[in-house]
Amino acid sequence: MTEIEKEKVILPHQAARQGAGDQAVTQSGHTSAKIGGLFEAISEGRPFQSVLHPELASQEPVVEVEGFNLWYGSTQALHDITFSVPKGRVTALIGPSGCGKSTLLRSVNRMNDLIDSVSIEGSMSLSGDPIYGRSVDVIELRKRIGMVFQKPNPFPMSIFENVIYSLRIDGVRDRGLLNQVCEESLRGAGLWDEVKDRLKSSALALSGGQQQRLCIARAIAAEPEVLLLDEPCSALDPIATGKVEDLIEDLKGTYSVLMVTHNMQQASRVSDNTAFMYLGRLVEYGPTDQVFLGPRLKETEDYVTGRFG
Amino acid sequence: MTLIVSESPDRANAPGRRKRDRRRSSLTAHGEPMVWLTGGSLALCVAMIVGLLGLVLYQGLGTFWPQEIVRLEAADGRVLLGAISSRSSYIPEESLLASLPPEQATLLREAMGDPSDPQPIERLLVRSENYELTGSHYNWIDRPLVVSEERPTWALCLERTEKGRFYGLPVAFLVDGEVVEEGPEATWKRFGEQHPAVRRRYLEYRRLEKRDLGHVNADMEEARLYLRSVALSKGEGSAAWLDAKAKFDAREEINRARAAEIQGRIDELKGANAAFALRMRTGDDREVDIPLERIVRAVPANQLSLAGKLRVYGSRWREFLTDDPREANSEGGVWPAIFGTLLMTLLMTLMVVPLGVIAALYLHEYAKQGFIVSLVRIAVNNLAGVPSIVFGVFGLGFFCYIIGSSIDEFFFSARLPNPTYGKGGILWASLTLALLTLPVVIVATEEALAAVPNSMREGSYACGATKWQTIRRIILPRAQPGIMTGAILAIARGAGEVAPLMLVGAVKLAPDLPLDLGRFPYLFPERSFMHLGFHIYDLGFQSQNSEAAKPMVYTTTLLLIAIVVALNLSAIWIRARLRRRFRAAR
Repeated sequence: MTEIEKEKVILPHQAARQGAGDQAVTQSGHTSAKIGGLFEAISEGRPFQSVLHPELASQEPVVEVEGFNLWYGSTQALHDITFSVPKGRVTALIGPSGCGKSTLLRSVNRMNDLIDSVSIEGSMSLSGDPIYGRSVDVIELRKRIGMVFQKPNPFPMSIFENVIYSLRIDGVRDRGLLNQVCEESLRGAGLWDEVKDRLKSSALALSGGQQQRLCIARAIAAEPEVLLLDEPCSALDPIATGKVEDLIEDLKGTYSVLMVTHNMQQASRVSDNTAFMYLGRLVEYGPTDQVFLGPRLKETEDYVTGRFG
Repeated sequence: MTLIVSESPDRANAPGRRKRDRRRSSLTAHGEPMVWLTGGSLALCVAMIVGLLGLVLYQGLGTFWPQEIVRLEAADGRVLLGAISSRSSYIPEESLLASLPPEQATLLREAMGDPSDPQPIERLLVRSENYELTGSHYNWIDRPLVVSEERPTWALCLERTEKGRFYGLPVAFLVDGEVVEEGPEATWKRFGEQHPAVRRRYLEYRRLEKRDLGHVNADMEEARLYLRSVALSKGEGSAAWLDAKAKFDAREEINRARAAEIQGRIDELKGANAAFALRMRTGDDREVDIPLERIVRAVPANQLSLAGKLRVYGSRWREFLTDDPREANSEGGVWPAIFGTLLMTLLMTLMVVPLGVIAALYLHEYAKQGFIVSLVRIAVNNLAGVPSIVFGVFGLGFFCYIIGSSIDEFFFSARLPNPTYGKGGILWASLTLALLTLPVVIVATEEALAAVPNSMREGSYACGATKWQTIRRIILPRAQPGIMTGAILAIARGAGEVAPLMLVGAVKLAPDLPLDLGRFPYLFPERSFMHLGFHIYDLGFQSQNSEAAKPMVYTTTLLLIAIVVALNLSAIWIRARLRRRFRAAR
């Protein structure tokens, strides 16, 4: 991002027009007229148009979300989300607690299917293939998506078996292939040197940071098209957090990453793009430095600078 | 104590603040009485457990210790030679004293002292046995009536294969009815030389009778049943029947020859043993010849050193643990009961654990949680509270009479009307107990499944695993220790259960073990079996010689406790090994 580009600050209604069409003009104009009233408008449930930065349109998407709504029973948790996750980049989802970041993330690999009361509307696609739909095989879909959770959740088995879990369930028996995938994945997760001598020992004996990197290794062993990270560092100490962040930095380019984080510094450090969400709505989505240094909306600025939330 | 610090004057006088009347906190508030109450309850529980174990250990361990043999002469002319098995004291009533001859009554009155404040007199229970002569195993004798008491050096306690023990002094050793040794010392020496060989021959021909002849008989029975089934299906006189009949005749011929050969060897061994006998003199100077092969063990109790006593003690324990019972179960061993208990518990565990785990898996992992599942869960929990005899009735009515009879009709029709599966047997007993312990396993497994963190399931699903893959690779291994806990509880409950077994297959004396490695198909699940718990009941309440059975009740109880503890410990050991795999370093 150059200085010149930063100068050309586009007004919200312009951004809206470029991002999502014409009909939003009056509404976003309305909200911007009432300074600081956007959050109020959202909480009152008035219609509202997300602000999408135009730079993102040129990036090749891997996950595309179109008009996505989600309900837990009768409570709506996601409202009309439209955005895309670009290929080979790190996209961060930020926002206050309960804004629907994790719900959105878990909708991508359909983890919300495990909850009976969830219903959805709208569409999502992975590399052009629909994620929701009657003909979609969830098991096959999940194999194309890796996920790392908030708390490290290594399985109660050896380090080796943990890493190659996705191959095991596919019935791969080839010892050479398994060893190769294990080593590559652990190297990819920056854990190889620490554990190469004790692959057969229990994964539960590792430290918290090592466990989380093991979970990342497990996720990338299946060579996923997109990697979902759900607050991967929130249960880790600063040193382990630093290691995981370095790892995400390394994964950039090879993997497309969608991560949820509560930590604004982390989002600004590791992500290429940042999406700000509030009460189930996508508020602003753009390149990270723009969102942090020159957000289109005052509300986004308030949030990223810590004046709100 | 911060609670009774008086308030500072500043705070008390602060404007707008009402001072609450603060009382000294009471004893109850401090909770001291609760500490005493809870601690006291625990102490009471511990005392009861220690007391129970102590009683069983004390009584059970003493049974086989060789006791001294005393010779007591009473004022009424009775002579008792035997071991004093217990002592008690009582105050004889006037009517009893009046019925005694005057000099005995005088002896007792003297012992009681002042008639206005009579002292209790001691009486002894003497195990004098020699049932065929005296018609009793035990005799009471009042201590004041004992006129002489001695410990004859050469007194022997003979444990016999039948008619109980024999107490007496060795007089002579006989071969073919001729006295070859005389005097206790020479007789005892000769006995020691001859007895082991005689005993070996005895055991050999008993084995031939029971096992080898048994196999021949079983084979003949099988052939007869086959012929009968052919007759039933094809008709007597048909070509197939004639063919079968010819085969049957040939087989019978072979079996007859085999039986005759075995019988010949038995007769030979019996003949070799018949020559030897021991002439014993009882306390009241009667002489009896006892065939040597009838003597299991002869104990010269009054000359034994400590090592000798320990040897006898060990030998009796070995017999108890490894031999068949004799004398209506009150003597000999309990091996068939140990074996039956273990096999029944093993079969029960093999049936209940998979069934319970699978049921719990469905309840917890697959079933949609709702009203019906809650109802099923409540029903399962309540099943654990049903009295065990109810399960026995169900086992008898359903397994034996419905399923067993159907099996008999389809597969063993030739044996009818004798039931094969249509009666109590080890299979039905294990199934009944499996049903009884099923709720324990289901509840424990459900708890174990609930304890598997959801993050594990999510992690597995996120890797693209199906539900079954997740269960098999993540949930079950993780829940294994909890499932083992369920198995332990089931074993503990099942191994000690007696009431339902009385209806579905436990018997007082089983002719054969349910396992016979000499005969196909080796395991006979339809056979009835002996069980330690039932054995205790039988010894304690059904035995004719109840005094002799009493110490055996304690010893068998001790053994049952030991077996249940051993089963539990081994299961706990397995669980600890499993747990070690999942224990994090943190």
